[in-house]
Amino acid sequence: MSERGPRRVVVTGLGAVSSAGMGADEFTASIRAGRRTTSPVRSFDTTGFPHVHAGEVHDFEPRRWLRGIDPGQWGRSSQFAASAARLAVEDAGLAADDLARTRAGSVMGTTSGESAVIEELVGAWAADGLKALPPDLVGSAPAGRIAAAVNSELGLPGEALTLATACSASNYALGYAFDMVACGDADYMLAGGADSLNRWAHAGFYRLGALAEEICRPFDTDRSGILTAEGGVALLLEPYERAVARGARIYAEVLGYSVNCDAEHMVHPDPTSIAACIRAAHRSAGVEPEQIDYICAHGTGTRTNDATEVAAVREVFGERIPPISSIKSMIGHTMGAASGFGALICCRALHDGFLPPTAGVRRTDPDLGPGVDPVPGQARLAQPSIVENHGFAFGGNNAITILGRVT
Amino acid sequence: MTSAAVAPASVATAPRRTTNPLAVTPLAITAVGAVSAAGIGLEALGRAVVEGAAGYTDPSGIGEESLPPRPVRIVPDLPVAELLGRKGTRHLDRTTKLALVACRLTLDAHPGQTGERSGVVLGTSTGSIRSSSEFSLETLRQERPYLVNPSLFPNTVMNCAAGQIAIRHKLHGVNATIAGGHLSGVQALRYARNALRQGHADRILVGGVEEFCAQSAWGWHLSGSLGTDVPVGEGAAMLMVEQDADASAAGHPVLARVLACETGYGTPGRLADALASVVSTALERCDRRPEQVGAVSYGATGLTGLQRIEERGVRAALGDRVPGRRVAVKEPVGECFSATGILQIAGLIGAWRHTAALAGELALVTAVARDGNVGCAVLEAGHLG
Repeated sequence: MSERGPRRVVVTGLGAVSSAGMGADEFTASIRAGRRTTSPVRSFDTTGFPHVHAGEVHDFEPRRWLRGIDPGQWGRSSQFAASAARLAVEDAGLAADDLARTRAGSVMGTTSGESAVIEELVGAWAADGLKALPPDLVGSAPAGRIAAAVNSELGLPGEALTLATACSASNYALGYAFDMVACGDADYMLAGGADSLNRWAHAGFYRLGALAEEICRPFDTDRSGILTAEGGVALLLEPYERAVARGARIYAEVLGYSVNCDAEHMVHPDPTSIAACIRAAHRSAGVEPEQIDYICAHGTGTRTNDATEVAAVREVFGERIPPISSIKSMIGHTMGAASGFGALICCRALHDGFLPPTAGVRRTDPDLGPGVDPVPGQARLAQPSIVENHGFAFGGNNAITILGRVT
Repeated sequence: MTSAAVAPASVATAPRRTTNPLAVTPLAITAVGAVSAAGIGLEALGRAVVEGAAGYTDPSGIGEESLPPRPVRIVPDLPVAELLGRKGTRHLDRTTKLALVACRLTLDAHPGQTGERSGVVLGTSTGSIRSSSEFSLETLRQERPYLVNPSLFPNTVMNCAAGQIAIRHKLHGVNATIAGGHLSGVQALRYARNALRQGHADRILVGGVEEFCAQSAWGWHLSGSLGTDVPVGEGAAMLMVEQDADASAAGHPVLARVLACETGYGTPGRLADALASVVSTALERCDRRPEQVGAVSYGATGLTGLQRIEERGVRAALGDRVPGRRVAVKEPVGECFSATGILQIAGLIGAWRHTAALAGELALVTAVARDGNVGCAVLEAGHLG
């Protein structure tokens, strides 16, 4: 069975590129205040779309954050990832040169990779045919460029792995990074994810009736769907012993994780399978359900997600469901980066002492049953010790990470 | 709130004592399925690799878009109805069909049960670039941008094929999609090795898939990253992978063992050094010496600038010795991008089988990407009979 690596693994650096701000401090302050940072889309032409709101990173200036790579040669998702990673390394108080001399690598999750690049290529195709595709853009299209951008930006000599397990991809990435550091294959790992807004997903979600008009309200009676979003997020992982030795600020310990697959339906999540994933994550972390103080929900804002997620949680936790909130109510659904932003806010919740809120909840949906506490409005002061971060994806790909406070 | 916090929750099992502190658990490959321009199945691929025969070259039937003036390699007559049945395949794109066919072939060849504790690790680069770009184009061409066909939306997501495989065969274990392009093969093996070690599945289908389409053919043609006479191809290959000890315990015949798989990242200008370094590390981790390597399966063949870098890196790591067997999988199947890595392995195993190679022959499977990613796997021939 499972063969856990011998080293304890902690998170010592956080980086964010999001509609809620640049860097973990801005991001956390915005989330704690319950501020909604979704807005009308500017990055693509929304003419003809009845719904035009999304969690866009307006006025992103890659040159302000990137020092190792020329942003002109990389797509938007790669720029997000590399900027978030750069911010995480700075946040960890590590000199980039020192980091580059270790066995450091990156693992980044994504749903649609360099979708903004692909849509530029589609624009050229529509205008002048496939023989007019700009060669430079072709080179920027592979999704694997996302982790490559992190390694190139920071000069990391280790693995550069991009996981495309859709909307749970960052949790997949965090789990893999945890194993690599725990077993000693890597000295440091940057784990996270990135995605860009794109027309095709906006159209697809709208057509499926899953897109909210203006406000994403998970757990609320009047919820109407998701808001698409974009951004990049990175967590720096290192062995506990080294973090202590170098006097690093430790946000949290990665205690364990689990991944599984519903294998039932591409788009309808399965509560039994999700419950199995939660139980396996608890076993991996060596914790019991009653030790979980907070759940950072997948919480997309659709009725199906809420019902399924709460049913799965109820199956594992029984009568006492921990407070469960969704930051997608503020920043929208950042797709492959979503569970990475969840992990980031979990780290800050453990370190700073609060529970992240769900914005926009006016009346918790009674159909979800009793005892659902979505932490409505603004952050609640609390001292969580162990928290659970959910990521579910298209294709039935579930990934759950467990993080704990280091005292 | 509990105060149990985080004492030593990560209770450590003591590291295993071995003579080599870097040693890794070998993986057993117990079944292989391949679909390529060489034909359907491992035998066709093995024969084509050994004989250096060109695969099928007629792209008619791929679509209506015009194609660039260059050679191509196409999978002829994908046996979708025969192998997958007629139900539930109408909206699947070619990427998913190729992956499902390779999966079916692999499961048919696997000696044991599959069962729900099985997983999937599948390599891609962009998912089906044809599906996503055609879907995106519809948002520009329709009267209203949202008048897209919702049943085609799933095809635009990169993990579509992996999810379909899981559903079709009820595989509840880890289900990962690796966006690694040319590195997909070695990255998928590394990911699977860790997932097996962590107990996320008991056995994993490790694969790679790439469909031929006008969009990517023009991309290769215009970018100049592929030699002008190198064919653009397509295909999918899959390996059933288990921990070596599990395969032995179950009495599964082992076609080949993955003794090591290593990846690294080099800065431009230092790619050959970076590759040489991962090859050396990989050999060290499985206690093998460079002179024991009897075969090399190259991944960068035909890629402008990278082919020589790859060959230089391998030569440097092997002490200027060129192994006797050179597996050139791209001659029959063309440039298959994300499928290349696993096709290199399938081609190697097919060639081993076709030539009745002796158990124990050692092979390197290498990959290099322009960004900086380098990787290699060390394989040992098993009982191929």
